[in-house]
Amino acid sequence: MIKTKNRIPPSLLAFLVLMVAWVLATMVFKVVTYTFLPSPVDLAEALWSMRKNLLSACLASLRITMSGFLIGLTVGLLMGLLMAYSKAFMDTVGPFMEFTRPIPVFALIPLFMIWFGLGILPQVFLVALGVMGIIGVQTYEAIKNMPLIYIRASQNLGANKKTIFKTVVIPYIIPHLVGAIRVAAATSWGLDVAAEFMGVQIGLGYNMIVQQMYLNTPGIMVIVLIYCCFAIILDKIIAAIERRLTVWTDRAVVTFEGIK
Amino acid sequence: MIEIKDLCFSYQNRKKAKERKEIVHNLNLTVKDNEFLCLLGPSGCGKSTILKIIAGFEKAEKGVILDNGEEINDVSYERAMVFQEDAVFPWMRVYQNVEYGLKARGIEKAERDEIANHFISLVGLSGVENQYPKELSGGMKKRVDLARVLSNNPRIMLMDEPFGALDAMTKEKLQEQLLQIWEKTKKTIIFVTHDIEEAIFLGDRVAIMQPISFGGELHVYDIPFERPRSLAIKENPQFQKMRRQMIDELKEYESF
Ligand SMILES: Nc1ncnc2c1ncn2[C@@H]1O[C@H](COP(=O)(O)OP(=O)(O)OP(=O)(O)O)[C@@H](O)[C@H]1O
Ligand SMILES: [Mg+2]
Repeated sequence: MIKTKNRIPPSLLAFLVLMVAWVLATMVFKVVTYTFLPSPVDLAEALWSMRKNLLSACLASLRITMSGFLIGLTVGLLMGLLMAYSKAFMDTVGPFMEFTRPIPVFALIPLFMIWFGLGILPQVFLVALGVMGIIGVQTYEAIKNMPLIYIRASQNLGANKKTIFKTVVIPYIIPHLVGAIRVAAATSWGLDVAAEFMGVQIGLGYNMIVQQMYLNTPGIMVIVLIYCCFAIILDKIIAAIERRLTVWTDRAVVTFEGIK
Repeated sequence: MIEIKDLCFSYQNRKKAKERKEIVHNLNLTVKDNEFLCLLGPSGCGKSTILKIIAGFEKAEKGVILDNGEEINDVSYERAMVFQEDAVFPWMRVYQNVEYGLKARGIEKAERDEIANHFISLVGLSGVENQYPKELSGGMKKRVDLARVLSNNPRIMLMDEPFGALDAMTKEKLQEQLLQIWEKTKKTIIFVTHDIEEAIFLGDRVAIMQPISFGGELHVYDIPFERPRSLAIKENPQFQKMRRQMIDELKEYESF
């Protein structure tokens, strides 16, 4: 079979199928109620009526999520690297990590509000904490599972510990962290929603709660879709950066097609 | 001079801490300065392990190894290992790999460039300097590793089957180049190989290592051919006779 170049991409096709099903269910056959699942037109109306504070809400949520994500990523990486670099650091920090890590970050939200008040800071802190946990552990594990031969070769060529970390450990672990970074990015949106549910008076999550109080399903869905877009964009950005940083890896993708 | 005195070594069983697998037992060997020593032995008898101990990656369990009279207790670029496994850094281009040791030791860019380019062309890799290792064949990667170690101008080279992955032509070319470098720079080389001809062609002496079940001793042959040697000596009857002897000895250990 000859593949034509300009066939509809599968993801677009999936999207179209969903849209058609949605229109059929809500506008043609009307099998669901407005409160359960509003139609695309209802959503457009909701979007229009929310237009005034939507932009500022978006910016507020973006600020919380992105600063939390970036802080968490940086601190997590540093923690993971330091734990591998220095046994003294590991012996001091490791035990604390061990029994604080299993605490679900979401469960800390009410406490954070009591401790830090209602500002934007506890929300950022919360997102950062969640991201840091994921990245820190993954960084440390990736280093611990490195092939010893690279470290030995580097050491044998005259590199000291600092040089080994800079030129061997860090480049080696980057591809092994991409999965964790993408999971952390996705999680940080979730953390932002949860944090805003309980904390701030701005942001998309807060607006969602307001919509929910009025049983305004279209309004909720609009915000869900906005979160969705943000999450996809961030994921695409990370994937693009990953491609640039890992040109050296064997990019042959594992496939089991044709294996009996 | 490297002096191995009553060396014992065993690997610890990871699951049962008390159980140890003895690899080297009371091994004695002296390698003189500027000597080229080849080490033969059946697979798994502990050749790589000995190199790793000399390099300083593993600690002797009993006995000592002296390098110029001093006990080896650290890794040093002066005792350079060419690993049996692929050790080229896949995240660096060929050129960066080759200059790695020079850079790590703080050598100036101009000098680094000169040395790195010299060895890249010596091992026949000119033209692929800017490629990543994933784009190279197995034999090419091995040559990157070789150039990387040679650039560092180590005093002692511990070479673990460096030419094992190469085709016959490249292998002979590199053997001759290695001899030239060795004669010029006066290094001490311990060279592990499974290729008996290679061992006799290169070595001042060839040591055959018994598996520990046969006693774990070294049987050392002196190689009488004078230097500089040409590939023609491989046709020499005496060369062939020594080769025969070594094959017979190695066959005895095969059953282990
Ligand atoms: N890290 C390790 N832990 C436990 N046992 C090991 C380890 N490395 C090697 N061994 C064992 O030690 C023995 C000697 O291994 P070594 O790699 O030194 O053999 P070798 O003579 O270099 O073999 P080859 O010619 O196949 O490379 C082998 O029986 C192997 O199973
Ligand atoms: Mg070996």
